[in-house]
Amino acid sequence: MLPIVSITLFLPLLGAMVILYLRNVAAEKIHQIGIVTSALTLLGSLLIWSGGVAVSGFSQVEQLEWMPSIGAAYRVGVDGISLPLVLLTTLLFLLTFIFSSNVRNRPKSFVVLMLLLETAAIGTFVSLDAILFYVFFEVSLVSMYFMIAGWGHEDRQRAALMFFIYTLLGSLPLLLAILGLYLGGETQTFDMRAWIENPPLAGSAAMLALIAMLFTFAVKIPVVPFHTWLPAAHVQAPAAGSVILAGVMLKFGTYGLVRFALQMTPEAFRDAGIVVLFFGIVAAIYGAFAALAQTDLKRLIAYTSVNHMGYIVVGVAIAALSLDPEIRAIALDGSVLQMVSHGLVTGALFFLVGMIQDRAHTRDMAQFGGLLKTVPWLGWFFIVAAFASLGLPGLAHFPAEFQIFLATLREMPWATVVIIGIVITAGLYLKAISQVFLGKSKEQWHTMPDLDKRELLTLSPLLFFIILLGIAPSLVLDVIHKTTSALNF
Amino acid sequence: MIAIGLIILAPLFAAILILVLRRSSFEIALVGAGVSFIASLALQFGTKTSIVLPGLPNMPLLLMATPLTALLSLTVATVAAFVLVYATGYMAQDKEKNRFFTTMLLFISAMQTLVLAGDWILLLSAWEIIGLSSYLLIGFWYQKDGVKSAATRAFMVTRSADLGLYIAIFILIASSGTNEIVATLNTGGSAAIMAGIFLLIAAMGKSAQTPFHDWLQKAMAGPTPVSALLHSATLVAAGAILLIRTAPMLPPETLLVVGVVGGITTVLTGLIALGETDLKRLLAASTSSQYGLMLLAVGAGVPVAALLHLIAHAVIKSTLFLGAGVFQHTRESTTLSDLEGAGRDRPRIFLGFAIAALALAGIPPLSGFFSKDAVIAATMVATHAWLFAPLALIGTLLTGAYMARTIKILWQGKAKQTRTSGIRWMGAGITGLVVLVVTLGAMFSPIESYLLTELPTNYLAVILGLSAALSGLLLGWLLPVNSLLGPLRPMANHGFQVAGGIDNLFVRPALAIAHVCEKTERRLYSAVLAIGQFNLKVAMKTRLSDEKGIDRLIFLIVNNTLKLGSQARALQSGLIHRELAITVLLTSGLVAVALVGLIIF
Repeated sequence: MLPIVSITLFLPLLGAMVILYLRNVAAEKIHQIGIVTSALTLLGSLLIWSGGVAVSGFSQVEQLEWMPSIGAAYRVGVDGISLPLVLLTTLLFLLTFIFSSNVRNRPKSFVVLMLLLETAAIGTFVSLDAILFYVFFEVSLVSMYFMIAGWGHEDRQRAALMFFIYTLLGSLPLLLAILGLYLGGETQTFDMRAWIENPPLAGSAAMLALIAMLFTFAVKIPVVPFHTWLPAAHVQAPAAGSVILAGVMLKFGTYGLVRFALQMTPEAFRDAGIVVLFFGIVAAIYGAFAALAQTDLKRLIAYTSVNHMGYIVVGVAIAALSLDPEIRAIALDGSVLQMVSHGLVTGALFFLVGMIQDRAHTRDMAQFGGLLKTVPWLGWFFIVAAFASLGLPGLAHFPAEFQIFLATLREMPWATVVIIGIVITAGLYLKAISQVFLGKSKEQWHTMPDLDKRELLTLSPLLFFIILLGIAPSLVLDVIHKTTSALNF
Repeated sequence: MIAIGLIILAPLFAAILILVLRRSSFEIALVGAGVSFIASLALQFGTKTSIVLPGLPNMPLLLMATPLTALLSLTVATVAAFVLVYATGYMAQDKEKNRFFTTMLLFISAMQTLVLAGDWILLLSAWEIIGLSSYLLIGFWYQKDGVKSAATRAFMVTRSADLGLYIAIFILIASSGTNEIVATLNTGGSAAIMAGIFLLIAAMGKSAQTPFHDWLQKAMAGPTPVSALLHSATLVAAGAILLIRTAPMLPPETLLVVGVVGGITTVLTGLIALGETDLKRLLAASTSSQYGLMLLAVGAGVPVAALLHLIAHAVIKSTLFLGAGVFQHTRESTTLSDLEGAGRDRPRIFLGFAIAALALAGIPPLSGFFSKDAVIAATMVATHAWLFAPLALIGTLLTGAYMARTIKILWQGKAKQTRTSGIRWMGAGITGLVVLVVTLGAMFSPIESYLLTELPTNYLAVILGLSAALSGLLLGWLLPVNSLLGPLRPMANHGFQVAGGIDNLFVRPALAIAHVCEKTERRLYSAVLAIGQFNLKVAMKTRLSDEKGIDRLIFLIVNNTLKLGSQARALQSGLIHRELAITVLLTSGLVAVALVGLIIF
């Protein structure tokens, strides 16, 4: 039996080493290696998917001795919460490599960095050892810093530094929490499974650890008011960076919220659940309103991420608060599915904005108008992705948000006010569509070319999955539900 | 089971086929709609089945054929088929007909799903997808002025009201533990009242009831077949269908509210229609008014009467819109003043239009007479008959008045000879619908027995209804609008908006909040930057103090030590005590300096 999780995890790193070893190769060749490597990685994650998950606990676990003296080891594996995210990650990275295959500015460093980032991202989701998790978590941060600083737009240095300092400072409390959990346990181990099985902390110690973790994840998700780095980083990041940042890296926060905060300090989370719920509601509504005020298309989409991630926080908080296993399962099903949907939809939207910017060299919505006539493919792709983002049924976000809201109403009826977010997002997307794509087409954009083959190849799979997930959410939900319905915390 | 599948999938596959082939859109669309129609017809006679589809965990999707849903499906399929026949002529010259027919078919498919849905999730999905397709259809000519705002408004108003449907569904699922519509209808108590009110809000949005009525009039920016399909028989019908289907659950309190909303709407939008200066907008206001009558019937506790009026209105109003589309083609305008005498250009189309107008007014033996009679009779047996019956009668009177006025304008005036392309297809579509307008009344009693219900009959209702209709027609024909409406005219022309309407009440506050958020964002961002810069400054200061302070000190110490070294040579006296003492002194001095330095920096 091949250690397929580890192979998938380290394939991108291997690809990066191959590229580093090669001297004097053409840019195309490097991009080809990147695409092939990430395609193989996607294949690996599909193999993991076909292996499925067990009814409870983790499956396909692989482990090796690492630092036995302190109880840290190389442990990886998946469950119904992490597996869909791994698949999402590998898909988005493959598409990002395809999309970026026209990068001619230091292609070698770009591809190496992206591959490094891919390993870090997969590693964050499959780690079952807290030290390993933390290492991957931080490595991803560094890679993204260089991505923004090296290939970003006009004000990239400042944005990159802000992103780095914010998330670095943000992740320190997590380290403290991990140490706390380590010291609190009966056996000295960093095995996350042990901590989930048997939460090591109780009382005020657990609460302190929870607060530390919440701080870290709140910065990462991001939850208002810790979100200011997000629009800045997104606007300056290259399209590929934005896609990975929004599609994959924001999920570290919500994944951690479930995996660490909810599963390792469940009692404390239940006590603090109402506060988390409140922050989630504020983030969802505030993010939507802030997005409504934007004139820069990319900033607009960045803010809708705050809104959509806010729903996930609401879902996880409801799961923590509820004593009814059925409501918990509905809330977590919705939250995990929302992570996947958001990755697909926001990924598509950031690609699309990148394509618009490549053509027009501006993101100011007021500059456009009537683009649907000149670039119909781009326009229709954007319209479908936008409607998916505003939660239209038949597209990816609806089943997730429906479940989150349903669980919210059943547990905390007043918190259902968060649902007004879907009207505001509808308004802001319709405003964007009508400003950019409808109306009379402007003279200056008449020569704008429509999507080329590379761009169609990037977008089509995303659109396909957005529709598939909307029509048949059970394809993913069955896997998620297997784990969420068996959680006992 | 196959029939249900075909009803929904035939139009959907036709739409996909048009997208792929990018040609022969008429033929494919007609085949798709035709197959759907035949399947829907077959559904009436087949056994009533249901299909279970995978949905969310423990909440499967369900399609269900009952006499009620099958009948609604047939109504949708019939109107859709005729409208598509008409559109074949109407859109013949349009360059983007592929897009037109694709969206129309998507719409039909979604509407059929809505009608046949047996569970709430599927119903909600279909409900929102018809919102999307109507957005795309209203915005079809997206380059024209005013079109994009009309489409946006239609989607936004209905989506805001849709929140009601979301919440109602959550309440129903939470209290009954299942998402199957039939099972949730057993809900009682306060949950039923709450859910009922939220369902009503959703229905008010889709069926353009007061105060949500203004989007429908503005939605006339789309092509005429769109208006004929969406704004008469399908999209707006969704609201009434929702209430008809959930009527068994609605408690008396909720029914009263439903009736009051319907009554107010039928009167207010009837007045708007009377004062309207644009034919399509007049028909749109009339649609709201007729759906008001349906809500009155639901409120009176006789949903079947609402259903009959829904079916009759579907064929009547489609006919009227399609006729209006022909006049629009000949005169290239929909303003009533431009349309004077337009009926004489095309007398046969005008005849169909006039028959439908009389049917809507409620003149026997046309279908509208029977359905309106059923509604009025229902309001007279209601608990709140004193409130509902007069409202229904006023609504009927107003219908007669604005229809008479329209017919008069279309007929009085001079004919202009014009050629209209595609008139054959358009004529065929209208003819088929007019036949239904005339004959449908005879089918109502079989329908009642099909649905296993019997409507209240009331001769007083017939007399009152008929006299209201006739006096409305006479008033509309004889008196000018200004003397009919009197002081209400300006208000009617402004759509009876309260405090500036939706824009002032919702849109502006939302934008203001957004603006505040954006300001907060800027402040937050600059605050974070300021903190960052402050830290940078501190770092610079530290570096300076490092260079000028500590470094200098250390160099000082080093230099002095060197100097001391040279002097020390002089001190070397060979006496160990003395050297030791000096070393101790110097060391302690150094330690003290280091300590002070540590404390300061």
